[in-house]
Amino acid sequence: MAESPLDLTRRGPRLLGGGGGQTRAVALSTASTVVVVAVIAALFLLAPGSAQVRHTFFSPPDLWHSLIGDPAKGYYSIGAAIWLNIRMFLVAEVFILVFALVLAIVRQSTGPVMLPLRVVALLYVDVFRGVPTILVIYAVGFGLPALDLNVVSTQGPAVYGVIALVLSYSAYVCEVFRAGINAVPLAQVGAARSVGLTQAQSMRYVILPQAVRTIIPPLLNDFISLQKDTALVSVLGSIEANRAAEIYSATVFNYSSYVVAAVLFLILTIPLAHFTDHLIARDRARRLAGAAP
Amino acid sequence: MVEPFDSSYAPGPKRFDFDINEISYSAQRAQAVSFSNSYYDVQQSLIALKGSPIVTAHSPADLKGYVFGDQIGTTSLSFINTLIQPTQTPKVFNTLNDVAQALATKQIAAFVTDTPTAQYITSSGEIPKSVMVGQFPSTGEHYGLLFSKGDPLVTCVNQTLATLAANGTLTALQKKYLQLYLTVPTIKP
Repeated sequence: MAESPLDLTRRGPRLLGGGGGQTRAVALSTASTVVVVAVIAALFLLAPGSAQVRHTFFSPPDLWHSLIGDPAKGYYSIGAAIWLNIRMFLVAEVFILVFALVLAIVRQSTGPVMLPLRVVALLYVDVFRGVPTILVIYAVGFGLPALDLNVVSTQGPAVYGVIALVLSYSAYVCEVFRAGINAVPLAQVGAARSVGLTQAQSMRYVILPQAVRTIIPPLLNDFISLQKDTALVSVLGSIEANRAAEIYSATVFNYSSYVVAAVLFLILTIPLAHFTDHLIARDRARRLAGAAP
Repeated sequence: MVEPFDSSYAPGPKRFDFDINEISYSAQRAQAVSFSNSYYDVQQSLIALKGSPIVTAHSPADLKGYVFGDQIGTTSLSFINTLIQPTQTPKVFNTLNDVAQALATKQIAAFVTDTPTAQYITSSGEIPKSVMVGQFPSTGEHYGLLFSKGDPLVTCVNQTLATLAANGTLTALQKKYLQLYLTVPTIKP
């Protein structure tokens, strides 16, 4: 079997750049990378305000102090605060997966009895996809305590933050699930029903397993976004990484703390992002293998 | 022109000659910007809801046990952390309105703010049933005008401030507008 030019990269069609040998390509890409990095570095280092910017954003003592924190001086450890982001993310993720799946199944249902639920699910997705997450966080975080109820109104900001994130992200993830379910060919449903599975059984054993495999990359994409959006919960008063960075900056008038928070978020999100890339590549390889004669 | 507090200390050229916005002087802040001398000496006050435990029990030891909240970037928040040193981490909000809302819904037991603001919040009904528990002793905190680091204008403004202080203008203004503050009880952090 002759390899077509499209297969050469094993990543699909090349969009940029021409042919040429492997060595020449490596040399060219190295050279272009060096030039780009050098130009950016030169711009940064030679700008009139460079020393000022380096002091304000990259001062080593400030980077260190904001990372470890010192409550007696009025600021908190960003390194400890990111742990709250991680916990909020992990808890929210579980609830989102469950809630979004229920929503998606309701939206995909066809029975006439389910109509009222379908309408509610549709309205839910419309509203929570349309309202900015930060507004949902405000509404939940300041609204529920104002109700003055027993358990509902006495939770901490992190709990309200997680509730708001679950409300907001479930609407997105519901649509991702739906896309996955719709991507399973209709013939599969027909086949499942014809061997005697009920509608629920065919959903559980035939449709969902195939749907979930398709949507793992977009799901992880949403979760990367969720990891970052845990920072929004800071508006409710909880000291998470972003808030700890803001407090440091406001106390010492130096922005290096934001760089620390940014790096910590990168450390969290980059592995997940590359895991997503890996899954996409693996899935693609499988499909290509499956399609080969 | 209106300059948000957060950008008032950003590096680079300023869009203003000086910023006068009840910005408190601190030695750490003065490493990044220049401040004029004091135009007003500030004390911090404690605000809580009427009938809550902190209104009656606020010895220095008692104070450590409460959940405080405050606005980010304020000297009031620093006051809580450095002088009250509560056992539970305070909740830190974007705006004083959010702090007020958190107090009204009992998310926090009390918050600290400078006396002029505290007086306004409790008397204007901004938080229903709120009360000034007391005023903390002066920590030497004062408001100054904020300038770019090393701006020569500072000297000029300081001369004017000295004149206003010497001829009694500053005292007269404080008596005229801020008389009430002298009647608030003093408590210890």
